[in-house]
Amino acid sequence: MALTQDDVHAIADYACIALEGEELEQMTSYLNDAVEMVEPILNYTAEDVEPTFHPIGTLSNVMRDDAVDTVRALPIDAALSNAAASRERQFRVPSILGGGEQ
Amino acid sequence: MAFIDELTAAQIAAGVAAGDFSATEVARAALDAVEARDGAVQAFLQVTPELTLEAAARVDAARAAGEVLPPLAGVPLAVKDNMNLVGTRTTCASRMLETYESPFTATCVQRMLDAGCLPVGKANMDEFAFGSSTESSAFFRTNNPWDLERVPGGSSGGSAAAVAAGEVTLSLGSDTGGSIRQPAALCGVVGMKPTYGTVSRYGVVAFGSSLDQVGPFGRTVEDVARAMDALCAGGRDERDSTSVDCADSFAAGLEGDIAGKRVGIIPSFMNAPGLTSEVKEAVELAAHVLQDQGAELVEVELPHLDAAIAAYYVIGPAEAFSNLARFDGVRYGYQEPGCPNLAMQTARSRAKGFGAEAKRRQMLGAYLLSSGVYDKYYYAAQKARTLIVNDYERAYEAADVLLMPASPTTAFKFGELSDPTQMYLSDLFTISINIAGNGGITVPLGVGSASGMPVAAQLVGKAFDDRNLLTFARAVERGFEATTGAAGCRVAPDFAGKGGELA
Repeated sequence: MALTQDDVHAIADYACIALEGEELEQMTSYLNDAVEMVEPILNYTAEDVEPTFHPIGTLSNVMRDDAVDTVRALPIDAALSNAAASRERQFRVPSILGGGEQ
Repeated sequence: MAFIDELTAAQIAAGVAAGDFSATEVARAALDAVEARDGAVQAFLQVTPELTLEAAARVDAARAAGEVLPPLAGVPLAVKDNMNLVGTRTTCASRMLETYESPFTATCVQRMLDAGCLPVGKANMDEFAFGSSTESSAFFRTNNPWDLERVPGGSSGGSAAAVAAGEVTLSLGSDTGGSIRQPAALCGVVGMKPTYGTVSRYGVVAFGSSLDQVGPFGRTVEDVARAMDALCAGGRDERDSTSVDCADSFAAGLEGDIAGKRVGIIPSFMNAPGLTSEVKEAVELAAHVLQDQGAELVEVELPHLDAAIAAYYVIGPAEAFSNLARFDGVRYGYQEPGCPNLAMQTARSRAKGFGAEAKRRQMLGAYLLSSGVYDKYYYAAQKARTLIVNDYERAYEAADVLLMPASPTTAFKFGELSDPTQMYLSDLFTISINIAGNGGITVPLGVGSASGMPVAAQLVGKAFDDRNLLTFARAVERGFEATTGAAGCRVAPDFAGKGGELA
């Protein structure tokens, strides 16, 4: 079943990408083409085939000591230097709930 | 005196070590070549003369102090712009990261610098590596040095073009679905995707974390092998939990004998629709020269490869969507001003910061990972992945290496593949080893009879058998030269010797 513009609008919300008008229209057409292209994958559902999530099968999780790595940790100034808005030692963001003060 | 583009990495390092010329002279020649050539090629997003000259001065000081020089001392290097290097921006050719200053240096870049390379600049690419033509760069296109009206391939198009135009001797690219091997084929240079895990991904902006692998471009197989030695020196990188120890010396095994070895040909690939006859002829010539050196040709089949493109365009976008969620405009990246709340700021920053293809891939990934859809597609793609891995394992029971095209065609014109899903299909020959994880290398074979553009063959090896893969690549290079009397790779004729005199 083809995706509608409303479906694509909902996906855009989920992806946190504001899409409107013509862009939404083009995206709908693209997504329908792309989903059709990946459709053959639906034939690969055999129960007896284990999925491979990663090309190195023997990987195991790597834990480190629960301590600050002073070599790798960026200095605060460096960590903030690429942010569009910061204040003192923090990243600055607009109101999280509602449309309040910026 | 020579021009910088006539010398291999080995010759430059030897010349610097012997005092035939200084690293500073090499640096000036490379910068001069960039000055003379890059206006037409547009391989670089950023040229960094101060970093080039500083690195050269360190090499010259080390030599003056009587120190043993590192193996690539004085070799000019370009770095794809998704790799962090302190003192440069890392933009991924995106408006999203237009002003992003590298806060640290990627391990792969650092290891090339430790080997003595001179960083010349950051190479153009498809935005966030989404593409096969470098046309999705947010800033400008890169032109194929063999014909400026044609694409250099992608996504590492700038890295390939810079080497093909003789602006640098080596470059680094990254390959998620063919992004090193396809531009190498289209620009007529050697380009290698090592086995997943061989080169650290630390400090490289992630696209598909289970698919991405960094690798080198060069004009000879030996140069690429030496770059591999530099990338793997120091062994496993503690900062990338998926990196493994590859202590092999890649350059040392290059001249190994291939007599009696089995080269696998995949008939369905050689008869694939869309494969042009000049590319097919080139791959057949590569088979012929391997046979001349005593190798045996065997036919093998990879029966589940028809699933590779579908699996890739599920796994790749899903991983890309997950990775690119970090670009919310808060800690770094473009931030839309004047938004009343954080959700709106995020959605608008992402809408404006990302270009069309970056949005398309993330939207596809978001859909494929959404509730109710995820179980159908994502899980099936990972099952297909198992079957593709098994196919390769079976193929390597019959063959020591596989030989196939890298790209179905030579370089196409700008705008020629305007439908994004058509562009995806051009990855047919490169995509499956990103899914399976094994290594592949593109070996240039002169120019095609019909187009006059570079043609190439691709060799694909077993996982963690990259040293042997390079031996076969060298055998193709050597055999091509013996058979045709010309090198498979040369600097694009319009640019050879244009600026870059080593005075």
